[in-house]
Amino acid sequence: MRRIVLYEKFERFWHWAQALIILTMMLTGFEIRGLLPHIFGFQRAVTVHNILAVSLVTLIVFAIFWHVTTGEWRQYIPTRKFLGEMVGFYLTGIFKGAPHPVKKHRMAKLNPLQRLAYLGFKVMIIPVQVTTGALFYYYPNLQHAFGWSPSVLWVIAVVHVLGAFGLVAFLFGHVYLTTTGHTPTTNIKAMLVGWEDIPDDEYFDEAE
Amino acid sequence: MPHPLRKPSPPWMRRTLQTLVGLLALSLTSAFAQQPTAPALSGHGSYLGVHAKQASQQTADHSKFKILQGPFKDGDGSAVTRACLTCHTRAAEQVMATQHWLWRIPEKGLEGYGKSTNLVNNFCISTIGGNTASCARCHAGYGYKDKTFDFTRAENVDCLVCHDTTGDYEKENEGLPNPAVPLADVAQKVGRPSLRNCGVCHFFGGGADATKHGDLDDTILTAPRTEDVHMSKQGAGMYCVDCHVAPSHQVGGPDYVIPADRREQPKYAGEETSRMSCTACHSNTPHDSYILNRHYQKVACQTCHIPAFARGKLGSNLWWDWSTSGRLKDGKPYKEEDANGFEIYNSMHGEMTWGRNVTPTYVWYNGNMKFTRLTDTLPATRPVVLNPTEGSYGDPNAKIWPFKFHEGNQPYDPVLNHLIAPYTAGPAGSGAYWGDWKWEPAIKMGMATAGLPYSGKYDFVRTTMLWPITHMVAPKEDALKCTECHAKKGRLEAVPGFYLIGRDRGTGVDFIGIAVIILTILGVGIHGVTRYLHGRH
Repeated sequence: MRRIVLYEKFERFWHWAQALIILTMMLTGFEIRGLLPHIFGFQRAVTVHNILAVSLVTLIVFAIFWHVTTGEWRQYIPTRKFLGEMVGFYLTGIFKGAPHPVKKHRMAKLNPLQRLAYLGFKVMIIPVQVTTGALFYYYPNLQHAFGWSPSVLWVIAVVHVLGAFGLVAFLFGHVYLTTTGHTPTTNIKAMLVGWEDIPDDEYFDEAE
Repeated sequence: MPHPLRKPSPPWMRRTLQTLVGLLALSLTSAFAQQPTAPALSGHGSYLGVHAKQASQQTADHSKFKILQGPFKDGDGSAVTRACLTCHTRAAEQVMATQHWLWRIPEKGLEGYGKSTNLVNNFCISTIGGNTASCARCHAGYGYKDKTFDFTRAENVDCLVCHDTTGDYEKENEGLPNPAVPLADVAQKVGRPSLRNCGVCHFFGGGADATKHGDLDDTILTAPRTEDVHMSKQGAGMYCVDCHVAPSHQVGGPDYVIPADRREQPKYAGEETSRMSCTACHSNTPHDSYILNRHYQKVACQTCHIPAFARGKLGSNLWWDWSTSGRLKDGKPYKEEDANGFEIYNSMHGEMTWGRNVTPTYVWYNGNMKFTRLTDTLPATRPVVLNPTEGSYGDPNAKIWPFKFHEGNQPYDPVLNHLIAPYTAGPAGSGAYWGDWKWEPAIKMGMATAGLPYSGKYDFVRTTMLWPITHMVAPKEDALKCTECHAKKGRLEAVPGFYLIGRDRGTGVDFIGIAVIILTILGVGIHGVTRYLHGRH
């Protein structure tokens, strides 16, 4: 067994802060849409949603800074290596108790599917939500300033809402997949404390 | 045991990160404090003291003037006016340039607008076809009974109706004072117009208290703050002229055109400007919330702050059906009241409905409104919209405004396709409608009196009007809550042209979204159960 540090302090703070912000934005967002019973009350839901939006963007700016300065951004470079094996593992191997096809390494802690999913999350879903959210918020100003058609707002809203549904679906998949570690709680524990004890055969050394 | 691969971050990076986290916390707290501060309001609070001070600051005590000692002949208002004009030499000239006197708008493009010309509504219909003498009880002059009235005679100006402070002054037909009015006493106690002076006419538009406007009736004189924060003595205790500022007798008013936003700023320091827009006193950022302030771009203040009109004890007229008038019992006209005491039938007027605490109708409005005149050809659409409003979401000057929606059924000429001004008031045998209860002679007489063509045929046509609601502002705690509009079946359900969050929720989008979530849950559920059944992790 080796104890390896997978998630630095900032990374964990970033992950859980982002999780909390997005969860609360889901609750407030769907309350504003009218799909949830009144939890916050409309006016407070709107205020909280907008404040959290600013907070999320701020947090993401810091996270980007962190990824760039630490070089951690490389963890998200998509790869085809072991991609087929990973899909096969989730479809059949996992039921037979087959070993995880991808060994972990401090600088390669994400498997190819995770890389794709999180990269998509970071460069697709979040930017779409942030952009459509900002466009929605400033729509009256933009509409006047640029003479935009008044009828485009609903398109922005629809994209934002579909993105939000996508995030909820992502949340379910994401939380479920955390249970596919060594034990069902291994991955969540690692995200909380930062390290994971990994059997030697599931880790590959720098030297390899 | 520290892992060899885990290099401690260099101190510069730690410091940078700590700074960044600090900044994040700062941005979170400052987001709460992003609201702009409203400028300090001047003159807000109780106006009762302001009015008392204004009265005490007057340099003249009118009871000391010999010329006002009288005696004045009973009902001779012009004698009082002549007395006033000996000192206030230019007052009549000023009044005679105003709509209060002219009953028309002399400006270009508004010909035919005004009671003395061809304007028509779906309450009393028109004042020029007949019954002018009775309508003229609200004319700021003496002797207006038909179109021969001399609009250039200074002594015909009625000073007292606006400046009486005793409450004893009363006008009768042709606008003449009731002979019982103690003219000398009233003349000696003149002052600045209070609510009552304006209210004797403006509370009674449409022929009776509360009938026409919906946001103005004489319950305002004794209203609690909840009915009208501005005019209630429990509220600001303001008079009409505190907002409808009246330099040189030019009382600020809409003149049939109400800009949705009129932020009157003085053109030079000290210029007295009308304060008819809310923002003139309250600024356009009066809320603590930035989001609420932003509503100002598209929503009139009145929309949220006047949750209902006719909030006093009186009902406002919502439907007036002239076609059902003229029913007689034993040859005599009669009236019927419902359980609320509302007059639901009167032989003179027809069937009516009334409403208290009425939810306004909301419409995009940029301040431009067209009115229908007796000379205008009616459009083919039914009901005929008598005063179509202009505006849409895309119009930068338009806002969602509250209106009183009024429906009527009134006579028109189906051949010429014009509305009709019948001759209403007159004794039996005169041909007037309320004398003989026959439309044909009354219409013929009315159109002849108005000097307008009539084909000889008449019918009734359904008409609608929109009356802007701007008085009876409620206390802020009674303003509309978000979900009054941001909801599926909210107040703005029928306001078109834009996406409204909370209202416009496509069921297709929600269906797709929920389906995606359910499929995801099903997927991971099946996966998890299979794992469990295989006894593996």
